[in-house]
Amino acid sequence: MKKTLREMRPVYVVGIGLHRYQRMSETSYVTLGLTAVREALKDANLEWRSVDSAYTGTALIGMAASRPMLRHLGATGIPMAQVENASASGSTAFRQACLDVASGIADVSLAVGVDKPGPVSSGPAKSNIRDLVGARAVPFTHFALLTNQYMNRYGVRIEDVAAVAVKNNRNGANNPYAQRQKAVTLDEVLAGPQISGALTRLQCCPVGEGAAAVIVASADAIDELGINRSRAVRVIASVTQTERVYRGAANFDAELTRATVAQAYKEAAITPADLDVVEVHDAFTIEELLYAEMLGLCKEGEGAAMVTSGATDIGGRCALSASGGLLAMGHPIGPTGAGQIAEITRQLRGEAGARQQPNARTGLAHMVGVGAVCVVHVLQNDN
Amino acid sequence: MAERVAAQPELYSISSEHPALNGRRCVACGYVFFPPQSYGCESCGALPDQIEPAQLAGSGVLNSFATVHLHQGKGIEAPFTVGVIVLDDGPAVRSVLTARTDEGLRNGDRMHSVLTTCGTNEEGNEVVELRFTKTEATR
Repeated sequence: MKKTLREMRPVYVVGIGLHRYQRMSETSYVTLGLTAVREALKDANLEWRSVDSAYTGTALIGMAASRPMLRHLGATGIPMAQVENASASGSTAFRQACLDVASGIADVSLAVGVDKPGPVSSGPAKSNIRDLVGARAVPFTHFALLTNQYMNRYGVRIEDVAAVAVKNNRNGANNPYAQRQKAVTLDEVLAGPQISGALTRLQCCPVGEGAAAVIVASADAIDELGINRSRAVRVIASVTQTERVYRGAANFDAELTRATVAQAYKEAAITPADLDVVEVHDAFTIEELLYAEMLGLCKEGEGAAMVTSGATDIGGRCALSASGGLLAMGHPIGPTGAGQIAEITRQLRGEAGARQQPNARTGLAHMVGVGAVCVVHVLQNDN
Repeated sequence: MAERVAAQPELYSISSEHPALNGRRCVACGYVFFPPQSYGCESCGALPDQIEPAQLAGSGVLNSFATVHLHQGKGIEAPFTVGVIVLDDGPAVRSVLTARTDEGLRNGDRMHSVLTTCGTNEEGNEVVELRFTKTEATR
């Protein structure tokens, strides 16, 4: 019979580490990744030799990225593999690490996301199915169309959509790992340059380089390896689904999110009201509104009003994109989903400093990726 | 003698000035889709031999639109405007619109397909592509 993550052996996040997300530089992906992994090991107070398996979330580095990076920690001979799942690569690597520990195959597992901008070799482009617009409709335009659809459907102004970027850049200004660390005004967001439709540059995430590492462990390992139990955060749901057939002009990412989140809530036995901190795939301002609505944080069409009310600010009812989100922290692809887990863990430990959501106990991380795929994790501090 | 050729003959024919789109229909479940493919039915998994051509009339309603202001692609000159049109025959399609900007466009506008000259190929033939344009109300 099938089991959920929660019905298997408990899995805890015990270590997190990042290399700042930044514009592309000469720094090797090896250095980016090692920086994050070493920080995560130090955070967990673990030796590398205690790690039983490793998954590298990466979409752009290319074949065989793991060992050329991780061998420099000492070649312990552990199983390693790359996990590519478009924007959800880091989230999926984290899921694989969780499953290793939950199943008992590993006591300690590492998920590290790392990427640098580079040529994209993509399945969809190789499927030989051509549409009318081809390369003329890049992601900017896909989301500009959704922005236009949303504004028309709910009578929302672009100022209300753009408010997401103001909030997320304010949060990013307090995140030393964020690519954009500067608060911006609504006027600055709207000033342009105009990219596609109503989307301006600051309503689109920066895609740079970086790394994020998360170490997960079993309760046994926490005891045996002397890990600080009070800083461990439990993973209470790991759910992933892929796109189905939707009719007419339905937004597939939103419909897919709706279904995936519903399963995650059921498996974690929580409701939206239980969420204190949430990270979503806010690559574009409109996405945060759509996913907040699909998460049930508000009714459909009320996302913009919720954001402008302050309910999703740090200190509000539920802090949305406290890290700065993809819009400010950045979206280096492979690291992004793992970086979300690092942020949620930091928040649930109460160690987020100026970004701390008071009394945060339960958090959710959401990513979508081209394909389309959706990955949702729910974390809880059960100390 | 020079003649007209379609930029994407697999997606539409140019025998009419208001071309239909080359969609597909699954005989097993009735699912109608565009763009065309013959790998198998996404809705029910039926084999390729169950997928038949379905001409989709080049008319529908403008669901959403966006003017692309900046584009880095080679040979793609901005601004231009992309629209999502929900066809009267069911599927939603994304198409470049004839208008370069979104001036005068409204969500819900009636739209129809037209052919637009987009260049000349190596044989000297006129290359035409399908775009959508606003259907002006007739009195």
